[in-house]
Amino acid sequence: MRTMLVILTVAVIGLGAYSIDLHRDKENLQRTVHAQYTEKLTDASEKLSYLQRAVSQSLLFQDEAAVHNELDTIWRLSSDVRSSISNLPIDQEMSNDWLSYLGRLGDEAKKTAKSGDFDAWREKMPEISTNLQSLSEEWQVATTDFYRQDGKLDVWMKEVDSKEPNTTFDNVKKNLKDYGESDFPLTLSESDWQKKVGLEALQDSLITEKEALEKVKTLFPMIKDATFTVTKSSENATYPFYHVQFHQGVRLGYADLTEKGGHLLSYLVERPVDEAKLSQEEVLKKAEEHLKKLGMNDVAFVESRENHLAWHVTFARVNPSDNALIYADGVQLKIAKDNGELLGANAMEYIQSETIKPQTAKPIDWNTFFQDDVRVEEVKKIYTDNGQFDQRLCYQVIAVRGGKSSETFRVVIDAENHNVLKVEYLS
Amino acid sequence: MRLLSIIFSLIFAISIVSIPQNDAIAFTEQQIARGAYGDDVIELQSRLQYLGFYTSKIDGKFGYNTYWALRNFQEKFGLPVDGIAGPQTKKTLAGHSDYDEKWVKAQLKAGNQFTYYGGKPLDQQVVKNPNGGNNSAGGNGGGGGTNTQLPPKYTDRDLQLMANAVYGEARGEPYEGQVAVAAVILNRIEHPDFPNTVSGVIFQPRAFTAVADGQIWLEPNQRAKEAVIDAMNGWDPSENAIYYFNPKTATSDWIWSRPQIKQIGEHIFCS
Repeated sequence: MRTMLVILTVAVIGLGAYSIDLHRDKENLQRTVHAQYTEKLTDASEKLSYLQRAVSQSLLFQDEAAVHNELDTIWRLSSDVRSSISNLPIDQEMSNDWLSYLGRLGDEAKKTAKSGDFDAWREKMPEISTNLQSLSEEWQVATTDFYRQDGKLDVWMKEVDSKEPNTTFDNVKKNLKDYGESDFPLTLSESDWQKKVGLEALQDSLITEKEALEKVKTLFPMIKDATFTVTKSSENATYPFYHVQFHQGVRLGYADLTEKGGHLLSYLVERPVDEAKLSQEEVLKKAEEHLKKLGMNDVAFVESRENHLAWHVTFARVNPSDNALIYADGVQLKIAKDNGELLGANAMEYIQSETIKPQTAKPIDWNTFFQDDVRVEEVKKIYTDNGQFDQRLCYQVIAVRGGKSSETFRVVIDAENHNVLKVEYLS
Repeated sequence: MRLLSIIFSLIFAISIVSIPQNDAIAFTEQQIARGAYGDDVIELQSRLQYLGFYTSKIDGKFGYNTYWALRNFQEKFGLPVDGIAGPQTKKTLAGHSDYDEKWVKAQLKAGNQFTYYGGKPLDQQVVKNPNGGNNSAGGNGGGGGTNTQLPPKYTDRDLQLMANAVYGEARGEPYEGQVAVAAVILNRIEHPDFPNTVSGVIFQPRAFTAVADGQIWLEPNQRAKEAVIDAMNGWDPSENAIYYFNPKTATSDWIWSRPQIKQIGEHIFCS
């Protein structure tokens, strides 16, 4: 009995020591994480003040170089604050609104620096500077609580997760929403882009669930005997579509079709793939045959990539007026390496069908455009997004720099104003 | 005169032996071009490097570096310059170079950094992988990376991180659901309300359950990687969603306020 008591006492003491140790470890870990978050929060708050000052300072000068300097600072600081806020454990909606607001401010500064339209900046920014000042002050007040938790992160996290969270953030949240809409309203191009992504251009009549299923069987005869489950998209979906899931032997997959007109959005099959038997040439031929069967006859080959089960092949619509490829109207196919079966098709972009405005292409002297050790290997005309939701006619140049250990780049240059829109390193 | 002819015969015999004649065992019969990947490309890169035309990593991916090296070879040997390794090009290349398949594959498997230049002992062209073991990716000459070809805007690191996230978040889901989770990550990168990098999106505090509970660090399987590759190539079964949640386990009320798009497996996808 006495021995038992001793063993029990030792066990209790051991367990107690272990749990104290565990608790200490947990607290240490919490403190470390808390310290990281505190650093990010302090950084975000400080830089937010600097950002507000930089916006205000940008209104001081007539001198272009001085304004440029402030615009660069605004662009850099907005990106820094964005990064710090995205690393904070705060309400998701508020984080989204912050990131959006700061991103738009940075974009505006970058756009102004590039365009040199300082009058528009001077007209818009006094209001934004005031709003940013008020947001910065409210943020300081709201985040004071974070510093009051005595290093206890769990108290803060409970508050964030609470169904009725701390109301000190209410002002920041409300103002972020209001200022976001008033300071940076959607541009015409953004609004057009939203309509395009929402497939508003589709004017075809609605198809039924049964018609959607028949269409899938016609487009993909390989799975015509499969077991199907058809569901319609949720009521709040941006565009209504049918979701057709199927199962046939080793094949399992889905196809999404728009309700308006039954256009194919995407199709994907999962099945075991045997050893590759087809050559690259045969695969590309098969891809073109599949495209014809899908009724996509106005596209041209862009690129292909082989991986261990399949090839991914990309095509883009050809603009009939100048034969330039419209990259935004792309189609991707996934072709099985064993027998060339169509394992996937993605036509989401293809059915959005861009409206191309007429543009002129001014020639470029490549000898003066690039450095002396750069040679231009290929020039192709394409249409691509300029980052402001406008489709621009561009020269796509494959340029090689250097001698024996050369490096290859894809450079996309606006054909009208010769702005460089994209540079990609190709290995 | 007899002595002279003996000397000539000897020189000829030596030169025949010294020029590798491996065309009988070289390559498959398939024509390969930019975009290809696999054993034939490994052989092509090795042989081009043996002759000094190819100076980049031997990785089995037929990209621009391989393309220019092949064109230079074709030009030098009076072949049609098209950057495509067809039968004539392969035969000429095999006739003028050596390829020790076993050695090259062993280096790739071990994840060693190596080159394959002719005229230099092979053991002087290897830097052994300090981790020693097998390379699970199965072919990464030059160390690191995966044996996968991705669109240029994505890196091997993006693929690895996203495959970890997809496996941690959705390994029990149908393939379509895994591609959709990968697509949500990519949609967030493009969306102004979210960070603009793969790691920024995945490690945004409270964004993904797998990060919070540590399941993101489980070793992803090939299926999760395939799902990410499909998403990177443009597939989006979520139809432009930027959120998803499991209605059985979701703790946030806010997520229910998001406009829903569709359900795949256990996940509801929202905009």
